Amino acid sequence: MEEQFIFRKQYRNILIIIMAAALLIVLTVMIASGTGASRIWANILLNNQFFLGIALGAAFFVAVNRVALSGWHTVLQRLPDSMTAFIPVAFVLMLIMYFGMNSIYHWSHYEGYDEILEGKKAWLNVPFFFIRLIFYFTGWIALTWLMRKNTESLMVSSDLKYHNRRKIFAGIYLVFFGITVSASSWDWIMSLEPHWYSTIFGWYVLIGMFVTSLAFLIIFAWFLKRAGYLPQLRDDHIHDLSILLFAFSVFWSYEWYAEYFLIWYGHLPEETSYYITRLDDHKLLFYLNLVINFLVPFFGLIRVRSKRNLSWAALVAAVVLIGHWIDYWLMIMPGAAGEEAAIGIPEISMTLLYAGLFIFVVFRSLARGPLVVKNDPFLEESLSYES
Amino acid sequence: MDNPKYISVYFDDEDPMREAVKKLLAGRETIIDVLTPFPVHGIDRLLSIRRSRIPVGGFIFGILGAAFAFGFMTWVFTVSYPLIFGGKPFFAAPSFIPITFEVTVLFSGLAMAFAFLIRSKLKPDSRFNSPDERITDDRFVILVDAANGATPEKIGAVLSGIRTLEIKA
Amino acid sequence: MFQSPLRQTLITGKKSYRDVTRQILSPMVNKAGKFWYLGITLSGGAMMFGLFMIFWTIWQGIGTWGENRTVGWALEITTFVWWIGIGHAGTFISAILLLFRQRWRNSINRSAEAMTLIAVACAALFPLIHLGRPLLTFFIFPYPNTRLLWVNFNSPLVWDVFAISTYFTISLVFWYVGLIPDIATLRDKLMSGIKKNVYNFLSFSWKGSARDWHRHEILSIMLAAIATPLVLSVHSIVSMDFATSILPGWHTTIFPPYFVAGAIFSGFAMVLTLLIIARKAMGLEDFITVEHIENMNKILIATGSIVGLAYLTELFISWYSGVEYEQFALMNRMTGPYWWAYWIMIICNVGSAQILWIKKLRRNLWFTFFLSIVINIGMWFERFVIIVISLHRDFLTSSWTMYKPTIVEYGLLIGTLGIFFTVFFIFIRVFPVISIFEVKSILKTENAFSGGKEINHG
Repeated sequence: MEEQFIFRKQYRNILIIIMAAALLIVLTVMIASGTGASRIWANILLNNQFFLGIALGAAFFVAVNRVALSGWHTVLQRLPDSMTAFIPVAFVLMLIMYFGMNSIYHWSHYEGYDEILEGKKAWLNVPFFFIRLIFYFTGWIALTWLMRKNTESLMVSSDLKYHNRRKIFAGIYLVFFGITVSASSWDWIMSLEPHWYSTIFGWYVLIGMFVTSLAFLIIFAWFLKRAGYLPQLRDDHIHDLSILLFAFSVFWSYEWYAEYFLIWYGHLPEETSYYITRLDDHKLLFYLNLVINFLVPFFGLIRVRSKRNLSWAALVAAVVLIGHWIDYWLMIMPGAAGEEAAIGIPEISMTLLYAGLFIFVVFRSLARGPLVVKNDPFLEESLSYES
Repeated sequence: MDNPKYISVYFDDEDPMREAVKKLLAGRETIIDVLTPFPVHGIDRLLSIRRSRIPVGGFIFGILGAAFAFGFMTWVFTVSYPLIFGGKPFFAAPSFIPITFEVTVLFSGLAMAFAFLIRSKLKPDSRFNSPDERITDDRFVILVDAANGATPEKIGAVLSGIRTLEIKA
Repeated sequence: MFQSPLRQTLITGKKSYRDVTRQILSPMVNKAGKFWYLGITLSGGAMMFGLFMIFWTIWQGIGTWGENRTVGWALEITTFVWWIGIGHAGTFISAILLLFRQRWRNSINRSAEAMTLIAVACAALFPLIHLGRPLLTFFIFPYPNTRLLWVNFNSPLVWDVFAISTYFTISLVFWYVGLIPDIATLRDKLMSGIKKNVYNFLSFSWKGSARDWHRHEILSIMLAAIATPLVLSVHSIVSMDFATSILPGWHTTIFPPYFVAGAIFSGFAMVLTLLIIARKAMGLEDFITVEHIENMNKILIATGSIVGLAYLTELFISWYSGVEYEQFALMNRMTGPYWWAYWIMIICNVGSAQILWIKKLRRNLWFTFFLSIVINIGMWFERFVIIVISLHRDFLTSSWTMYKPTIVEYGLLIGTLGIFFTVFFIFIRVFPVISIFEVKSILKTENAFSGGKEINHG
């Protein structure tokens, strides 16, 4: 029970080597091939979104379970908690976007008169953009930190007041999360196509965040179990995680369809422009997105046996993660990088850089306390959970 | 009465019944059936009941329903009577999805429900007589095969130590 | 499986299996009380009024309604969407809560699912009577015909036909499959006579065999698994009646999930309305405890917040879009001639959901009952706002007009309420309102469980 994750020198070194190599490649490619600034900044935005989404989704997972008084997740709560440690890092990385604003956000600098953009100026202007950014991150960091701190208190004391406080912060986080993820997705992703809009966009991104965090969580659990940690995590818990991944992948597909289909059916030029760019230039990726993010988790996790097998679930989760990266790519790249949008060495190396950084931060956070929160009032229930 | 078909062992709680099932199986008695007022956890495993394949049937019929609905609509709008509706192409695949999905669910659900009724041999019969009317209330019954010389007394001996209510033929 | 002492027990009173059977079957076995006769008389009266209005509509024609060329859809489709939405809570409780392993659903799912069936039936009435020539209803079914015409499968109205009939069928199957063991219980309790023969027939020779239970459990989970996407799809398809148009206020991509959340919101409110009365009138407080009420209130917070978020999103995006028609549509909702409907909607839907964050109010039965009615009124107005306000002032200003419902239309709304409650009153005397075998399956753990503070019966 007092088992603690040890962030071994071996892991540290591997991660640092990956990050350094990736950084080197990115810089080389940038300088050597003269890749446009917009592609690089688009990549930074893409990875910011992807990994921030995993972190925020992890906090969402914990918050929902707390508010719903669910017991089964208790044994693995430290995993999503440690994933939220990335949010402050994402904050810094998003602030760096200030230097890339003009490259990818066309509304931040345009010549001539654009009637539509003029109308949106009250919202889409650089100062307000960053005030909102700081607001979102302050709330996210504060609430996740408060939730984590109370969990840490529960590791040493068994006073139930920490548990009750966590519940209150979880509730606040859920409301704040819903509103800010919608607003931040409008700001950071939807405004890349400033003439376009879609009301479901915020919810679509939100569900994508939840699915990616579930996928990462499953792979994380698989890694820890392989390394010999968490003997208390059994097939019963994995079953439930797989059910969530299955169900919310289907739900994500439903939201994808709702957006695509209603725009297809209405056939209004101001809305279809989004899909025309993607279908004209990136047809393969467009359909691949749907196949990977719907068909793979649906058929891969439909059997009860598949849901209970951690290795298989982790494999499906890995594919889903790649699939959602492609989804973010489709949302961001055509609007941000335009002609230069592609998947090549800059994309892969940038993603590896971010992945290394993310895992580094998460491991460090996980190593800061015991793997199981022994004073959690729902722990006993979780340990004896049968599904 | 001689040559009874089975011996019924009554319980008023599921735990003694579970114990009894284990003991009877260990004593190599054949259990014909176990009747309970609600599904008892763990009995399936003890009696080695194989996991039902109703879900497989549901899956197959669901795929059939999807193929049927999508195929039919495609045929209607591309071969039989193509009409232009609201500027949509003849093969308007995204439009076919809602009905395809509904028919999939319909076929799948009905197939599974009928599979259940057929496999369990459940059919409406107003002259049905239940083995014992208290089974649906609060009695748990194990039906033991009386074929190879089992008698109530013998069963009683096997189950000594477990709280039973009645053992009769 | 261990249960944390922080939880509350779900069945109070330390009952035995026999107590459970007897208590739940008593409305079927015993005579009805005054309250039942009073209730069914009132609702029966409303139903009669509604049936007459249906007859009047078919006899005299759709001209007896208040619709005009600009506002072609109004009260009837509002009420239709309202009823379908209400029905969704039953499937949510039966299916989705089963998949999430929520044991507290066991005592409420039977009546919630019955409510779904009645609500969907009430809703299905409207497509039948709103046709100008009801005799030609058969046009909507795809069969080879001499007109050589097929149904327009690209039309959301046809999707509705498929969606609602599938939803009704699968809900009926799911409800009935769960009912079979309980009908068997009822059959065995009755001594003889016509009643026993009827229940015997309906019980499908159920005898409680372990193999049958095994298949029954698996079937229930599988039906729950397909009913879950069904619930999402049905109300999404209903939302597509509007979203596939190009009307500002209607054509917006958020409609499918927003409608589904709103449906579950109003449905749970109706379940609360019904159950708070039923538990008191039928003496079922031990089965439907304050815990159950609080859990349902929590779902109200969640779905109500999603609906509130949708309102915020629509508000923002209509401005952000820069499309003057979208912007006007929203301003017209908030400040136009029907502004009162919009603000009733906002106060009833957003205010009600958010006030439930206060724990004391969540556990107060009187307040919950009052709020559940407020929510249902608010959700009716939401559909009214979306439909009528978007229609009455769209692109061509010379077509702008007002809509005034006639007595016939009010009669239809009252009539469906009458049908709903009448059939529900009949249901509670004919079938067990609580799923007997499901309650028994958790009885032992709940009796042994001594967690939680003092149970307040409210």
